[in-house]
Amino acid sequence: MSVTASPAHTASPSPPLSAAAGIEASCRLPLLSLFGGGVLWLLAGLLLALIASLKFHDPHFLANEAYWTYGRVQAAHRTALLYGFGVPAALGTGLWLLCRLGRSPLAGPWVVVIGAVFWNMAVVIGLGAILCGDSTGFESFAMPGYVTLILFVSYLLIALCGVLSFHRRATGPLYPSQWFVLGSLFWFPWIFSTASMLLLWAPVRGVMQASIAWWYAHNLSSVFLGFAGLASIFYFIPKLLGRPLYSHYLAALAFWTLALFGSWGGMPAGAPLPAWIISMGVVGTVLTTVPVLAVAVNFYQTVRHDLQALDVHLTLRFSYVALVFWLIAAAHQIVGALPHVSELTDYTWFPVAHWELFHYGFFALAMFGALYYIVPRLLDPLDPPAWSPGLAKCHFWFTSVGILISYIVLLVVGVGQGFLLNDPYFTFAIIMEGTTKQLRHSTLGYLCILVGTLFFLLNFALLLLRFGRRCWAELGKEVA
Amino acid sequence: MACSWLSFVLGPQLQIGDMRPTTNIVVGASGQIYPNAEPGAAHQGAEIYRANGCACCHTEQVRPRALGSDINRGWGIRRSTGYDYLFEQPVLLGSLRVGPDLANAGRRMDAAAVLLRLYEPRALTPGSIMPPYPFLFDKRRIQGVLSPDALRLPAAFAPPPGYEIVPRPAARALAAYVTSLRQEGYLFEAPPPPQPAAKTNAPAKPMTNSPAK
Amino acid sequence: MSQDDPKNPANRDNAEPSEGFATVPIWLIMVFGGLFYWSQLYLSNHAGGFDKQVYAPFDSLEEVAAMNPKSAGEEFRLMGQDVFNKTCSACHQPSGLGKEGTAPPLVGSDWVLAPGPNRIAHIALNGLTGPITVKGKEWNLTMVPWKDTYDDKHIAAVLTFIRSSWGNNAPAVTPEQVTAARKDIHPGPETSPELLQIPIQ
Repeated sequence: MSVTASPAHTASPSPPLSAAAGIEASCRLPLLSLFGGGVLWLLAGLLLALIASLKFHDPHFLANEAYWTYGRVQAAHRTALLYGFGVPAALGTGLWLLCRLGRSPLAGPWVVVIGAVFWNMAVVIGLGAILCGDSTGFESFAMPGYVTLILFVSYLLIALCGVLSFHRRATGPLYPSQWFVLGSLFWFPWIFSTASMLLLWAPVRGVMQASIAWWYAHNLSSVFLGFAGLASIFYFIPKLLGRPLYSHYLAALAFWTLALFGSWGGMPAGAPLPAWIISMGVVGTVLTTVPVLAVAVNFYQTVRHDLQALDVHLTLRFSYVALVFWLIAAAHQIVGALPHVSELTDYTWFPVAHWELFHYGFFALAMFGALYYIVPRLLDPLDPPAWSPGLAKCHFWFTSVGILISYIVLLVVGVGQGFLLNDPYFTFAIIMEGTTKQLRHSTLGYLCILVGTLFFLLNFALLLLRFGRRCWAELGKEVA
Repeated sequence: MACSWLSFVLGPQLQIGDMRPTTNIVVGASGQIYPNAEPGAAHQGAEIYRANGCACCHTEQVRPRALGSDINRGWGIRRSTGYDYLFEQPVLLGSLRVGPDLANAGRRMDAAAVLLRLYEPRALTPGSIMPPYPFLFDKRRIQGVLSPDALRLPAAFAPPPGYEIVPRPAARALAAYVTSLRQEGYLFEAPPPPQPAAKTNAPAKPMTNSPAK
Repeated sequence: MSQDDPKNPANRDNAEPSEGFATVPIWLIMVFGGLFYWSQLYLSNHAGGFDKQVYAPFDSLEEVAAMNPKSAGEEFRLMGQDVFNKTCSACHQPSGLGKEGTAPPLVGSDWVLAPGPNRIAHIALNGLTGPITVKGKEWNLTMVPWKDTYDDKHIAAVLTFIRSSWGNNAPAVTPEQVTAARKDIHPGPETSPELLQIPIQ
């Protein structure tokens, strides 16, 4: 039986062990189904990303069949990452955080399981549709209308359970993570239904579609996934360090300003939209400097006395690096939105670099940090099985290095491409020649991230094995 | 959330949601309407464009002179506006230029060039990273005489002797779509640039506060 | 120290994180204020008054209107510019300077700058073939006719544009003048000697 250290720095009362165990037990199957599917989809997405990246080495690679043409594979890669991994992981950690912080068990666990099953089915169908040519054409919203309906309903099932669990919480002041989780739970249906309705089921006319598509993609990533990742970071770093979060007010400022300004943006400066829409996007993105600074100051003050301790716990390491990546990605986005910079960097690999850093760097690492903590406690709340530290280290390093390779390559290539594009002297053939060789290095990045994820899967398999063996042994003891 | 929805969804929808083809063409006005609807084959081609994710690498939007070199590069005579996409469904503006912008591809390429590029991009641009789309074509035995629409490929990419490459209907539709892409004329919102050499009797910088209508 | 060692200070399974209540640093409030002020300035300068007709890089409807032709004459000339861009610039070049082996120059050309547009109207309508002297240099190329492609208004517009661009400064051409030229039915392209026969007006 594990011994809980007496809380020295925390102010919140600890619930009795049995209650905590009950909460974890209620989450077990639903969250495992969400996370399990999620990680497998991450793997699938990375494989697709690798295939897409390899086509830059040889365009004839897998080009003979329509299913594997670059346009379809790239859309499938994004879909697998955003909808296969992103949303379920966000939901899983979000629900767990609500239960934990609210000290109430998950409401309707079976509903969540059904939701997860249908969600995954929908993603399978959606990916198949994309590879068969039925994609919508919008890169971050590629699944066709019939699939989005199933996705929407599944999401509502899961989110409703989350909201109910929150509703049943033990009273007490809300911790910032809870605001972020609730914010994200409500955000997704709004943006998803708007995009589905106005792009797929009753399409609006003309360039409005582009405005909505960009708005949706920006909100899905920066706000929905951003909130989910931040919720996890806000929870784990103070908790595992044993220090209080520096400032409730800074967290509140970050939350509200991110909610307000973080959702404006995503349009390239030269887009065929009236100037005011573009300008609103610029203004919103630049104003996200405020939440970025708020988060940075908050965590700097929280961790600065304890920097060595960051290395001690797996989750801390992942969460901290995820936070750093979030700060870099946010700065990248802000700089990219500035009027004179965006003229240079629009339509280049520069925004793609941001996408990679945000999703594989910040979001995936934050989720893995959460997973490393949550999964053992789901399996056995009172005596969590241990991960293999060696494999976890490999996972961490391969993934971080891979992300950095990818990001830096795409960043440099993007800026170079921007300079070349803006000089009409350079024909497109020259630009292609100039950028392709460097671009190929990003394949190494994807490969590293893929290998890192495989290490995680191996670790997870070993964890399950160990857990299974222990259960078997305990069963044997009871029988004896 | 509500703020952003208002600015990016509702606001624009109210403003430009019921955009109709404009008669406000600066040049050659009097009754001319812009844009004209796409011909049928072009519309089918748009479906192929969508299905194969062409928008992953190609944009269809021309930036104004001040914000990029698109016009100087010959990608259009003016910036793209909302009117240019009124008859597109879906509107696939794209956001990454791995390949050139296609907003005015119809001015630069004819169907034969498009088909050739679809079959084997490297036949036209050595070292191109555009993927080939052989599944849009049929390789078949020459029946006596070469088919009229058989592709004329350079020797390095030609099919084995006795065979010809013929575009399938999907390829032809896609070619029709790409060659239909052009953004015509100057509009009120995208007027012509000032002429470098001063000419007519008109004053140098007319000051007026009333919109030209 | 392993992750699950009970002595590991990080292993506070049941302890939830708490928050401190430090105040928001004043400099951050000032940054927020400053950025907000900047954003309002930016919007008032670059949002085009939230008008749907204002696209970047224009900042106001007045700017857009100022760039638009303000007289029928200007609009007419711009129509000619459009025709020129679409059709003539391919051979005569966007600069109007022409190209060896492709088309003679229009800039400073005596044919273009003649007081009356009758001859160039004939050329535009019927095409041209055979040797012709332009600015003292002999050219021997072929130009296709455009009488079946464009109506009198468009041909008059493009001739007006050519006669008033790149330093050329000759009077505009009216559609009626082109109509009169069109009445002079001439099968096949013009030749220089034939052109020199017809009156300039």
